[in-house]
Amino acid sequence: MNMKAHDVTRRTLLDVRNLHTVFEKDGNEVHAVNQVSFDVKEGEILAIVGESGSGKSITAMSLLRLIPSPPGRIIGGRVLFNDEDLLDLDDEQIRRLRGRDIAMIFQEPMTSLNPSLRIGRQLAEPLLVHGSVPKDQVRERCLELLRQVRLGDPEKRLDAYPHELSGGMRQRVMIAMGLACLPKLLIADEPTTALDVTVQAQILELLRDLVRANNSSMMLITHDLGVVARYADRINVMYAGRIVERGTAEEIFHHPKHPYTLGLMESMPRLDQAPGSRLTPIPGQPPDLSDPPPGCPFHPRCRFAEARCRSERPPLEQLTEHHWKACWVDTDAKR
Amino acid sequence: MPNAEPLLQVSGLRVHFPLQAGLLGRHAGTVKAVDGVAFHIDRGETLGLVGESGCGKSTTGLAMLRMSPLTDGRIHFDGEDITSPDKPALKRLRRRMQMVYQDPFGALNPRMKVLDIIGEPLRVHRLTRGRAAYREKVMALLEKVGLKAEMADRYPHEFSGGQRQRIGIARALAADPELIICDEPVSALDVSIQAQVINLLEDLQKELGLTYLFIAHDLAVVRHLCHRIVVMYLGRVVEVADRETLYDNPQHPYTQALLGAIPIADPDPEVQQHFNPSLSGEVPSPIDPPPGCPFHPRCPHATELCRREAPRALEVEDRHTVACHLHDPDRAQAMAGNL
Repeated sequence: MNMKAHDVTRRTLLDVRNLHTVFEKDGNEVHAVNQVSFDVKEGEILAIVGESGSGKSITAMSLLRLIPSPPGRIIGGRVLFNDEDLLDLDDEQIRRLRGRDIAMIFQEPMTSLNPSLRIGRQLAEPLLVHGSVPKDQVRERCLELLRQVRLGDPEKRLDAYPHELSGGMRQRVMIAMGLACLPKLLIADEPTTALDVTVQAQILELLRDLVRANNSSMMLITHDLGVVARYADRINVMYAGRIVERGTAEEIFHHPKHPYTLGLMESMPRLDQAPGSRLTPIPGQPPDLSDPPPGCPFHPRCRFAEARCRSERPPLEQLTEHHWKACWVDTDAKR
Repeated sequence: MPNAEPLLQVSGLRVHFPLQAGLLGRHAGTVKAVDGVAFHIDRGETLGLVGESGCGKSTTGLAMLRMSPLTDGRIHFDGEDITSPDKPALKRLRRRMQMVYQDPFGALNPRMKVLDIIGEPLRVHRLTRGRAAYREKVMALLEKVGLKAEMADRYPHEFSGGQRQRIGIARALAADPELIICDEPVSALDVSIQAQVINLLEDLQKELGLTYLFIAHDLAVVRHLCHRIVVMYLGRVVEVADRETLYDNPQHPYTQALLGAIPIADPDPEVQQHFNPSLSGEVPSPIDPPPGCPFHPRCPHATELCRREAPRALEVEDRHTVACHLHDPDRAQAMAGNL
């Protein structure tokens, strides 16, 4: 890791304030993303970690206004990108921005590629839409992109259909598409979850190197704490639609403060710990977001919970320069 | 040890599927899902079966239950040859061997009450007499897996993923089996829920003296749960060793690469040094596997011999078997000549 983002002098590229996204479900409002605030610095890899239903993917999709509506709706907040609020843009403006300034890579390379179009055609699309290169140079640029993502035999691959490629190769194509217009920000939503571990390792190293080489920033959305530890500069931990802790990778892994983060660390079998030691699971399960518990959303599962936690929701408060947590309890004193 | 004979013994296992093409079902090749696999499972142990997609680990698990057709090989369970059992023998066998599946959403019939899902083995094998005893047994099973007895009258959709996996485990326990084949039982679950199910499996093993075949791709979970581990690649076994040996001293180049590719949940640069994503390429198709050693196209040490001839499994030390020409003393010379 050549750069560390705790470098405060870095400019803020994306500033998300009080983002609030709801879904209509059986007549109830589900607060999938609830007053979420965070920023991404230039050149930084920022992770959002959380389990299923924590709101991490909905956060990412809200930024690019990709929430299916209905049933989804962004009901509040600001998404400032280069000092422009993306939530104020009209449909045409946001379309022009997607892929050019902010690109997204999804989890399923199988379903994110059009099965009936050749790879070359799909790869050329962002280049043609945004007019990033003159028409007669599109093919050359596509080949260059495929070489960059180290896809063997690029000439042949341009004419291939997605089903002719393996999962790892398809994800390389997705990365090439994501990087085609040299976006300032790349949002990668579980980019390697569907891949085998040896292929995951190749893809993530490649993704990191290319993002660094382009001087882009990356928002890495994942449930995999191993991936986060290796690639993220800073980490946001999400639970039940809210950010519950934020810090540098060092702070989150070596000095976790929120009981949920602590619980995650203890419930995970780790290769760097003695085998056979007993895991400490987090009891219970995440709350139903259409009927969340009062107070702190984690309190029903929290071993430190006090009376106040059951009635009053803790705000996200700053502990040190980069370290924030949303919890009433001094977990260090209680451990 | 009271009974040193393995509970399960597999030798020369081959499971090949014919591949058909076109309307007339013309023979278009063979998928060699499992291609010469041998291992045993001791009583009371958890044997891990690991490998990436397409390595044949799930097919091997299904073959144990005689749920996939065998092309070749022998399987012995508790001393009895179960390679081609007749119907009554198969039914007896499936009582003693049960399965827990990966997908807690797909593995339970949505139209059945939990009572009848868990009770199915009791009905099939006629293990309880009368409705009251049946109900009582199911309620006891629910409590055994950490659910409430009164949940028996609910339907699967009312449960979370972790709870559904507990229901699947309760069903597997209903017939008092000796061996449970767990096929990726926790990989669909979130980390915090995964630990609950891992602990449950450990507790049940201790309490009931169960033997597990644990099929998984997550090497951290496997290290946590399994006593001994079989590593598979493209339908073959490449390495077998006790947990400590395998993780501390892996000998097969594939095992080494696999362990090096797991990201470790610690940002400490010193820890991260052990991360070594050196392996390139992907697992080839089992329809047209490479000749010789199946791993040779990705192996950094491959020689002419590896491209030509499949390595045999050799014991490199006590309880540690490796199938690699590098570790075959008879072959080392031939390889040196070829380098």
